[in-house]
Amino acid sequence: MEEEDKAPDMEAWERAYADDRSWESLIEDESGLLKAGDDVQQQRQHRRRLIQASGPRIQRGIIRYLCLILDFSRAAGEIDFRPSRMAVVAKAVEDFVREYFDQNPLSQLGIIVMKNGIASVVTELSGSPEAHIRALKSNLESFGEASLQNGLELAHTYVQHIPSYGHREVVIVFSALSTCDPGNILETVKKCKAARMKCSVVGLTAEIYICKHISQETGGSYAVAMNEGHLKEILLEHVPPPAAMPDASSASLVRMGFPQRGSEGAVAICACHKELRIGGGYICPRCRARVCELPTECSLCGLALVSSAHLARSYHHLFPIPTFDELLVDASLRGKSSFAGSCFGCRIQLSGGGSLRLRCPRCKRDFCFDCDVYIHESLHNCPGCETLQEEAVT
Amino acid sequence: MKFVIEGLTVYFPYEFIYREQYAYMVELKHALDARGHCLLEMPTGTGKTITLLSLITSYQLANPSLAKLIYCTRTVHEMEKVLDELRRLHLYQEKEIGSSRAKILALGLSSRKNLCIHPVVSGETSRESVDAGCRKLTASWVRAAAETNLDIETCSFYQGYEKQGSEQPLPPGVYTLHDLRVYGRQRGWCPYFLARQMIQFANVVVYNYQYLLDPKVSGIISKEMQKECIVVFDEAHNIDNVCIEALSVNLRQNNLDGASRNIHKLNQIISRFKETDANRLRQEYNRLVEGLAQQGNLHGSDNWLANPVLPEDILREAVPGNIRRAEHFVAFLQRAVQYLRERLDTDTVVKEGPVSFTTTMSTAAGLDQKALKFCYDRLHSLLLTLEVTEIDEFLHVQTVCNFLTLVGTYTRGFSIIIEPYDERMPHIPDPVLQLSCLDASLAIKPVFDRFQSVVITSGTLSPIDLYPRLLNFNPVIIHSFTMTLTRDCLCPMILARGSDQLPVSSKFDMRSDPGVVRNYGRLLLEMVATVPDGVVCFFVSYSYMDGIINSWNEMGILQEVMQHKLVFIETQDYVETTLALENFRQACDCGRGAVFFSVARGKVAEGIDFDRHYGRLVIMFGVPFQYTLSKILNARLEYLRDTFQIKEGDFLTFDAVASSLRSVLRLFVYLYQRQAAQCVGRVIRSKADYGMMIFADKRYNLPNKRNKLPQWIQSQLREEHLNLSTDMAVHIAREFLRRMAQPSDPQVSKSTLLSQEDLEKMAAMPNF
Repeated sequence: MEEEDKAPDMEAWERAYADDRSWESLIEDESGLLKAGDDVQQQRQHRRRLIQASGPRIQRGIIRYLCLILDFSRAAGEIDFRPSRMAVVAKAVEDFVREYFDQNPLSQLGIIVMKNGIASVVTELSGSPEAHIRALKSNLESFGEASLQNGLELAHTYVQHIPSYGHREVVIVFSALSTCDPGNILETVKKCKAARMKCSVVGLTAEIYICKHISQETGGSYAVAMNEGHLKEILLEHVPPPAAMPDASSASLVRMGFPQRGSEGAVAICACHKELRIGGGYICPRCRARVCELPTECSLCGLALVSSAHLARSYHHLFPIPTFDELLVDASLRGKSSFAGSCFGCRIQLSGGGSLRLRCPRCKRDFCFDCDVYIHESLHNCPGCETLQEEAVT
Repeated sequence: MKFVIEGLTVYFPYEFIYREQYAYMVELKHALDARGHCLLEMPTGTGKTITLLSLITSYQLANPSLAKLIYCTRTVHEMEKVLDELRRLHLYQEKEIGSSRAKILALGLSSRKNLCIHPVVSGETSRESVDAGCRKLTASWVRAAAETNLDIETCSFYQGYEKQGSEQPLPPGVYTLHDLRVYGRQRGWCPYFLARQMIQFANVVVYNYQYLLDPKVSGIISKEMQKECIVVFDEAHNIDNVCIEALSVNLRQNNLDGASRNIHKLNQIISRFKETDANRLRQEYNRLVEGLAQQGNLHGSDNWLANPVLPEDILREAVPGNIRRAEHFVAFLQRAVQYLRERLDTDTVVKEGPVSFTTTMSTAAGLDQKALKFCYDRLHSLLLTLEVTEIDEFLHVQTVCNFLTLVGTYTRGFSIIIEPYDERMPHIPDPVLQLSCLDASLAIKPVFDRFQSVVITSGTLSPIDLYPRLLNFNPVIIHSFTMTLTRDCLCPMILARGSDQLPVSSKFDMRSDPGVVRNYGRLLLEMVATVPDGVVCFFVSYSYMDGIINSWNEMGILQEVMQHKLVFIETQDYVETTLALENFRQACDCGRGAVFFSVARGKVAEGIDFDRHYGRLVIMFGVPFQYTLSKILNARLEYLRDTFQIKEGDFLTFDAVASSLRSVLRLFVYLYQRQAAQCVGRVIRSKADYGMMIFADKRYNLPNKRNKLPQWIQSQLREEHLNLSTDMAVHIAREFLRRMAQPSDPQVSKSTLLSQEDLEKMAAMPNF
């Protein structure tokens, strides 16, 4: 059979440990036989998403204000995701929040929870990932109905105060199948559209018309999670900064402050906690107030406070490395010398199969799938291109 | 796109065509070539209409000898859809071959109610009152009187049409009812009479089934159609019922009372005429002596309904002497009504054939059969002579004459059933005298005989070999098409057991079992918690629905359902149901979610589509067998067995499965969102509609029921979806919904489409 010929580079039992939930990749075909999911196929799928996300080089809005609306209604207590939808969502959101601040250091995030028919604020729009995660973890219980309208209305009141250069986004993680609203939700959707809020929905159960309507109207995306892994993936799709708003393209200057770290042992009243703190902290260059964490907005003078490292981290979004092209391995070519060789990153043999062969369009070096993921998602530099530049210098 | 099928150039207004559409065209062309009738089944939502129109109009272009395409639909809404498609096709043809060659005149025809633009008359609510209102203004004697007396009101639109319209035909183009009204307003012409006149010149006529099948209407409208016409019956799955209804009459107490009143009034008018204008009555008498044949040259606006009897059964002789005189005829009618009243006054069920009925009638009341046959024409003539314009007031006597004429004319294929009360409500006396036609082939026979090709098509004609027997014709082509799906967007399931693994069924001995009721309730509950937006439930009958909803209410199931979705219920009241439907849609739109309880064979089941999110799931609770104790059904079954050798069980199962299927298919899956796919052309949006159907009864598992599902559903009904229990069904539903929510791959859907190049390639291959 064809599959046996391919001789995967990892044995089946090894694979079982490498993956967290290996049984989920098993597929039952029509005759009831179990088949292990195809490695190469999965890799392709992963890349397809990457390619879709990247697109041509575009101006991106790197200052984002994102409201995360979580549905902790009765439906979130269902156990079709183990241990419960809510726990799975919380875990995925935790990853999302960390990743979000990692890639968007200049952005802010707030969490709203819908339960018992109302929407309540868990954390206000702010910059610290740990604070969000802590607040979310102390809030894990589910009951009552979900009301999308209340959630959106609450998000709307928050978003109104955001400066015009900021991107207003809402991501709703929705477990329920229905929304129990006090009024006409369609009016609220119109209001959100007028306020230029981009509302995206991540569903956990099935496609719901109103969610689709909300995302279509406001220019967001809508996706439904197949399983836990998929949920994480589609949530992480909201991490890279979105394309800049078309009407905001006229360059405008944003006033920012780069605060210095306060000297150890200095005693000051913290502006964010409103209490006496010793040591650490940053001093706002304009009003000399002390804040605990960066990035944030000075609570006295309203200046955006960042560190230069944050700005530098946002840089790669503006100049992304090109997506690598997949080279199709033709059986006839496999033996030939031009196709021998190894991954430029990790020196693994590429001729054996089990991994895609990917080529950087600029430096024409080949990489394996793992290196491709590492380069595009973490490193943001192509080793091949970098060495080319070095050679040019020397 | 333009392509060639066996030498015929077909113009198709989209850039891509589906494989089954192409196959459909090929079969249709064979039937047209053979000048025979055909029976074609193709899944709903695969673009039957445009396929039919495209092939037939192209065929017309190639064969100018072909007279016209007569396209019959069930509702006005469908009619407009057909004309819209036709307009698109026409625009494309004009672009391809120039407007001079692609000249086409297509129009829709409907009743005055839908076409009238007279400010007062068009405001009337019922069809009859609009007809009568029109007649008051347009009858020949009214207009003649108006010429001398300016106080008499006439219809300016009709006058306008009379003056110029009749000479100057409509310019070529495609006219929907709306267009006709607009055009009529612009020109000041009556759109109804204009449309009726233009039928003769049109290439494509779109109208209701009745205009061909009901002899009362077709006698006026469709009399002049040539033999070289192609007739299409779309959505024809219950064409047999339409045929039967066209020839059936029900008489109740109020009809007879009304008829007596009418007769009394006629008497008054006659005596008034005798004093003022006796000459007129004498003229009528003379005319009747010569025979009724002259009636044909009556003025267009004067004839309103033709004889209820099929054209070839109408006697071409003079009216018998005993009803020639007006007063004699009225006395004759009076005796007949009196006799019917006596017959109706019974406390047992009576079933008779037409022969014995007329015999007893002539012996008991002296009403001979020959005279009966002429009742309808005689009444018609009398009303004309007496210049009666308020025809809506004389409906009852018309019904009685209709009955008498039918009973006098036909000896076979009918039966007369008198029931003193409804079987289901024996305490309420509601006597009814039914003349029911048992043979669907009677009404449709003239259509088959008259026209060169008759195409009967629908999404659900299974079992397809039963239709030729029911309608008694020999199709040259019978074909059931399957479909190529871009993905498994249809998920039929057969649920045989409840959550406690006990069988569920609506069988008579099981239906009141609390266990079954609870299991059905649990099923609904689990499903509303799993399926988003709209869910539609069908029950086998109103009484069953009432009973089960009551029990669910007592068990607290209904309250739990309400936590997930709002509940709406179909009632027998039309207005209430419409309101419920509207609110149901709203609840689905705003995300609250809703469930609609309805009845198989009800209004909702036979006419309303629950597309997209309005019907993500349809549950059919039980098998909707017809009410087998019904006398009419039994008479029909007996007749079918004796005449066509169709077994009772076969017919009942066919009917039950067909009607449950029709209910379930209200989840009208727009399989590919064809419009989007084909209009947009290159950019294929294949995000298609999807839906699930659950047949909740263990009897659906039996092969004799399952095999009666159409091929295209059977192919989707996988082995592991049979004989399910509630928990398994929930699991399947969850998985299905998640899978369907994923964006689909555009590459896959493209493979089901054929472009012009593909077709050319296929044509080049000799063995295709």
